[in-house]
Amino acid sequence: MATDARTLPLARPAPRGIGWSLLLTLPILVWSLLMFFNPGSSKTPIWIISGAITALFMTTLFFMMMRSRSTYRWRRIFFVSLGVLFPIGFIYNIVVMRGTMGIPVEEMIAGRTPFCFMPIPMLILPAAFTRTLVFPGSIASASHGIAAMVGVWLALTLVMGKGWCSYACFFGGIEEGVAAIPARAKIRKLDPRLRYLPWAVLLAMVLLSLALFEPAYCMWLCPFKAVSEYVAARNLLGLVQNVIFILLFAGLVIVLPFLTKKRTQCSWFCPFGAFQSIFNKISIFEVKIDKERCKPCLVCLNACPNLSLSKESVARGETLLSCMKCGACVDVCPRQAIVWHIKGTEIAWKPERARLMFLYAAWAMAIMFGGSIIAQGIATILHFIV
Amino acid sequence: MPAFASCGEAIILGLVSGPACIAACGPILVPSLLAEHKGFRPHARYLSVFLAARLLGYMLFAVVAWELGLLASLLPAPRLLLMGVVYVLLAGVLLWYAYSARRSCAQPCADSKLVQITENRNHGVTGAAALGLLTGLNLCPPFVVAGIRAAQMGSMAAALLFFTVFFLGTSIWFVPFVGLGCIVRNQAVITVARMAMVLIALYYISMGIAMLLGKKAYGY
Repeated sequence: MATDARTLPLARPAPRGIGWSLLLTLPILVWSLLMFFNPGSSKTPIWIISGAITALFMTTLFFMMMRSRSTYRWRRIFFVSLGVLFPIGFIYNIVVMRGTMGIPVEEMIAGRTPFCFMPIPMLILPAAFTRTLVFPGSIASASHGIAAMVGVWLALTLVMGKGWCSYACFFGGIEEGVAAIPARAKIRKLDPRLRYLPWAVLLAMVLLSLALFEPAYCMWLCPFKAVSEYVAARNLLGLVQNVIFILLFAGLVIVLPFLTKKRTQCSWFCPFGAFQSIFNKISIFEVKIDKERCKPCLVCLNACPNLSLSKESVARGETLLSCMKCGACVDVCPRQAIVWHIKGTEIAWKPERARLMFLYAAWAMAIMFGGSIIAQGIATILHFIV
Repeated sequence: MPAFASCGEAIILGLVSGPACIAACGPILVPSLLAEHKGFRPHARYLSVFLAARLLGYMLFAVVAWELGLLASLLPAPRLLLMGVVYVLLAGVLLWYAYSARRSCAQPCADSKLVQITENRNHGVTGAAALGLLTGLNLCPPFVVAGIRAAQMGSMAAALLFFTVFFLGTSIWFVPFVGLGCIVRNQAVITVARMAMVLIALYYISMGIAMLLGKKAYGY
């Protein structure tokens, strides 16, 4: 009796040859050099060293992805580095410029608050209703300007969808690093309804931002204020805001990831992540499950750091809308039933080619956006050492 | 003729203030509508009750404030106190609403008739009435503007007429909310709506307490 080859378990693919891996890494090397040593720009020795370290770091990780044919663990090294080095560079910069991590009201009134991507969904309704941006920042500023950040975000999002949350977000790395520390999760039974919470936070914050005419999430709920810039508390209310930031950071970014081995802030809270999920509908890249090959052993459910798989979704042969395309499930599947996929193609159509196409786009973005943040963090450290 | 002029002014004021009104009421109205039945009719009914109660809130405030001579000159401290109390009450109603949506959802949510989140028709009506009344008492910026203008009227009846026409002008902006009835109701939508209600209630309760504390919270 003939057996369909796709129903058979597959052996782990052998590592790719060094020559092929180097050849596939070459475009990324060129891109890294262009990003960190663009001709015509004058740089200090510290910047040259930090750029070189970053270029080497990013290129090596990509080479390892090509050689090992696995994605997640190498991406995680980059992502955790990004998460750790972002606060170092950012805090140093604002302390040099402002003298404190706290944002005084005067800075907000003057429109000098650095803009991150988090408030983007909260700007839309007030802008539509009043043609006003409810963020106390500058639109045109070259660094931390609203226009620059929105432009970068839009361009990358249209291609990557929620891949942003695994290859560009400079907040998620800390919790991913903490989640990697314990060998096993202390809490295994997680209420699936918590997956809805980011959507609720998004809905509440968008509506409150419109009502209050301020970016409500930044003012009240952003856990990362604890490691970036907090409210310069001049009254009891300011103190309460800072206590909320610290408690959310400690709970969602440190304690819960350690206990669950999941990115709990991303999975259960981040409104930007929920908003970003919508763009997974547009992005051509996705992760699919070959139902003919899937057993299902559900190893992927435990491996997914973002709770983006459920028994039902596995049975349907797809991830949930919240999939961040980190590659954890693809790498862990013992039957290679979970594959990178380009929309509009057959599911079994050259998954490694789909992976390569996705990774070139994702890694180019990671170098351009996250790489510059890593370089900034390294430069800050070097500044203190040298 | 002056009555016509003041009515015209009130309706124009209402129409131009409409976006600010829906912005102020949005955090209360949108999640509670999303926790309702699917379809235009339930939404239209909910919205009608909400708006009628909101008008009642306007009228109540106008009558009391007129009698006390406070319509245009409500000082910051009592205004903060009133808003604090309204915020705390709004939070309470939202929390009750979120909880009761869960209770009524418990039975039918297991099957495809999820849209039937409740057989108790009074649930939506009572909730809508309570929320509408409290948003009517909430001193949002358009309401304050209308209050100042109404205070310049010659009599209480004229002031109430001004408020009513102003209310009609703002209410037109609420009609599109009926469109939320088109959104599919399933466990995800209802759960998100309930969670959002809790989060918004937490915001209102903290702001309400801060307003009640006044100087102790704000430092000025």
